[in-house]
Amino acid sequence: MNLLNKQAEPQATNEFDQVIVGNSLSKDAWRRLKKNKMAVISVFIVIIYVLLAICAPILPIYPYDEIILDHQHLKPSLVKNAGQLLMEKRMADLYTQAWREGRFELSEEKDDMIWAWIDKGEVNKVWDYMYKEGNIRMAEGTFVFNTAEQRRIDTLNTKLKTDLQISVKKVWYTPEGGKRINISKLPLEEIVAIYADMVGTTSEIETEQYGREIEQQLLKTIMRQNPDLTTEEYNLLLDKELSGLSERKRDTLIRENIVAKITSQAKDIALFDLKEAAGNESVNFPLNKEITIKGALSASVKATKMHERRYYLGTDHQGRDLLSRIIYGGQVSIAIGFIGTITSVLIGTILGALAGYLGGKIDYFIMRVVDIMYGLPYMLLVIIAMAIFGRNIINLFFALAIISWLTISRMVRGQIMSLKNQEFIEAARSMGAPTRRIIFRHLIPNSLSVIIVFSTLRIPSFIMTESFLSFLGLGVQAPYASWGSLVGDAVAGMTLYPWKLFFPALAMTIFLFAMNFLGDGLRDAFDPQSKNQL
Amino acid sequence: MTKYIIRRLLGVIPTLLVIITISFFIVRVAPGGPFDGERALPEVVKRNIEAKYHINDPLLVQYGRYMFDVLRGDLGPSYRYKDHDVNFYIFESLPNSMVLGVIAISISVIFGILSGMLAAIHQNSWIDYLSMALAVVGISVPLFVIGPVLQYVFAMKLGWLPTSGWFSTGDGWKTVILPALTLAFADFATIARLTRSSMLETLRSDYIRTAKAKGMKSSSIIFKHAMKGTMLPIVSYLGPAFAGIITGSVVVEQVFRIPGLGKFFVQSSFNRDYTLIVGVVIVYSVILVIMNFLVDIVYSLLDPRITYT
Repeated sequence: MNLLNKQAEPQATNEFDQVIVGNSLSKDAWRRLKKNKMAVISVFIVIIYVLLAICAPILPIYPYDEIILDHQHLKPSLVKNAGQLLMEKRMADLYTQAWREGRFELSEEKDDMIWAWIDKGEVNKVWDYMYKEGNIRMAEGTFVFNTAEQRRIDTLNTKLKTDLQISVKKVWYTPEGGKRINISKLPLEEIVAIYADMVGTTSEIETEQYGREIEQQLLKTIMRQNPDLTTEEYNLLLDKELSGLSERKRDTLIRENIVAKITSQAKDIALFDLKEAAGNESVNFPLNKEITIKGALSASVKATKMHERRYYLGTDHQGRDLLSRIIYGGQVSIAIGFIGTITSVLIGTILGALAGYLGGKIDYFIMRVVDIMYGLPYMLLVIIAMAIFGRNIINLFFALAIISWLTISRMVRGQIMSLKNQEFIEAARSMGAPTRRIIFRHLIPNSLSVIIVFSTLRIPSFIMTESFLSFLGLGVQAPYASWGSLVGDAVAGMTLYPWKLFFPALAMTIFLFAMNFLGDGLRDAFDPQSKNQL
Repeated sequence: MTKYIIRRLLGVIPTLLVIITISFFIVRVAPGGPFDGERALPEVVKRNIEAKYHINDPLLVQYGRYMFDVLRGDLGPSYRYKDHDVNFYIFESLPNSMVLGVIAISISVIFGILSGMLAAIHQNSWIDYLSMALAVVGISVPLFVIGPVLQYVFAMKLGWLPTSGWFSTGDGWKTVILPALTLAFADFATIARLTRSSMLETLRSDYIRTAKAKGMKSSSIIFKHAMKGTMLPIVSYLGPAFAGIITGSVVVEQVFRIPGLGKFFVQSSFNRDYTLIVGVVIVYSVILVIMNFLVDIVYSLLDPRITYT
């Protein structure tokens, strides 16, 4: 209301009539931080990581938990796709076999060299060498595959050409002379009829069948919810559930079931047709269109050639793409780092502020608890907690948050104790501000710089702790990944598959470096006097 | 001084009590009831455990009895192995961990102080940059990355050292080098940084200038005068350093397949061998508490400015 008419405050000027611009701590700190090159670079790196982690679901990467057993342990490659790598592997294998059988002669030195590699367990060196040497000889014409070998190559070739990955999104039904309809929108009887027609039975049989399946499904849920009951008790519960099930709900259950079955049938049929088409190259892949399944049925199908995938960072022991696993693993690690830090800082700040401001018995009690907890080997207690309460992300997160508020509470307490006798607090108190207001509006905002600096340095150590547990197999469990679990999985096979160790370790190290530099930079910026301290 | 030591000793007691209490209740609240876990126990072990814990007694009585047993040094039977009790397995593996830990902490203290001092004396020279770069690596890179990388480079690629194993595997002392280096890295880094900053501060102080003005040799200035002032923050860091070594050894023993307490600990936490886990934690805690106590005493001896009454 009066805001617009408010007079401009008279500006402060110095003796030369120049305007004095106010300077706040945060502004000053920001200026100092911008001067620190390492810190600025680190800010960018951290932003990139966080963006990648947040955008992971919409990035054009393969699903992190998609297992393709054919693609186990493929090398990282920027130019070759999975099929080419598989073919290389097969050829190298065949050359090596031929060498063992004596059909592929090498000079004595080379023989010794290869045997030395085999003794050391460095089989991949042997394969690389044999592949190179074999290709030269093939080009020269001094070595040819025998028929059995050629057949294996051909089989692989067909396989590479025809293996498809297919997903069916929707199945459509087109009545005669009508418009196509999504089958899940049809009335139940019609869906049952369509399915019965598809598998060659009658509607009655199918309806009865579904009645039974529903019962079984319910029974399973009941058994999961209450284990250790007798059969009679189960039957009683089941009857209760069935009578409680309304007609509509029952119909929905059946409908969902049948639609899923029709979709999977349609998928099988489409896959069969498309495989043939891929074999004689009459269709172009990747394909994304509606194709006719049977009679009036058609389906929206998405199909890609499985072996045209590219793995820029290689794959793991189950053929999962390492690139997407690192990105999703980063998501888990970074999320735990940030959320865990925020939780522990919240707990620590509130308890520290209470202890520092109120003093007396409360202070004594909180600080004794902190002292005792400091003496505990807390990492080991976390391991016990994970072992007993189950290994999952939520438990891990709680276990970490509960133990990590100690240091921050001590720091905040010290800060508050030094602030609480200053004039502005006394002024607030004399104006009758309640304790809560003094703590949350005056004391905590004034110790914010300490808290921010500490939190930034806390994030990497949180991530390290999480990864440490995941490395031991006590943290994040498959199919989820975190940087720690990726490194942990890679250690066993690192001679043969060094990329599995190298890339996650690198991704993690860069992030931790950046966070540490950023934390150091922030500390120097907020408190320039501490420059030469640790 | 004696008073201080006694008071400090009394302060150790609540920590130990808390640890034992937590351990006791953790074993009680383990899902599926304490003694009928998801895996069926061997009959012998079951009988042993029932006899040991008097399951039918009131909880407080059980707790008191457990406390008494632990204080006497009896950690009870193992859930998993029926041949021996927890004490046996701990005494079997503890020496290996001790050897590794002592070597690692010595390496990190000696080299940390050395490189920190060199960095401070030759501030802004290549020695300074090199040792601080090493320190940054040590602080940022987790040891479960350093371990495998060292293994890959020095054992697999260069073949200088064995990849894993312990004394009995025939490689003798060579097996200790890589794990000890890995374990020492993080603490080395922190100690080097601490020493450097503390040394820089000391070198700027007045009494060093006086010593220089007297024309003393710079080596005796550093070792006789500056050393003492530099040591304080390092001694106070030793407490957390021991804790770090203990948790670190869990991973290092896993990576280098060392039959130590840490490997045992992880294994038993997978086996859900609760009594063994709790036993190991109690042993670790006792070591840690004793170490913290010693560090405090040494600190109070070193720092003449603080009087303890």
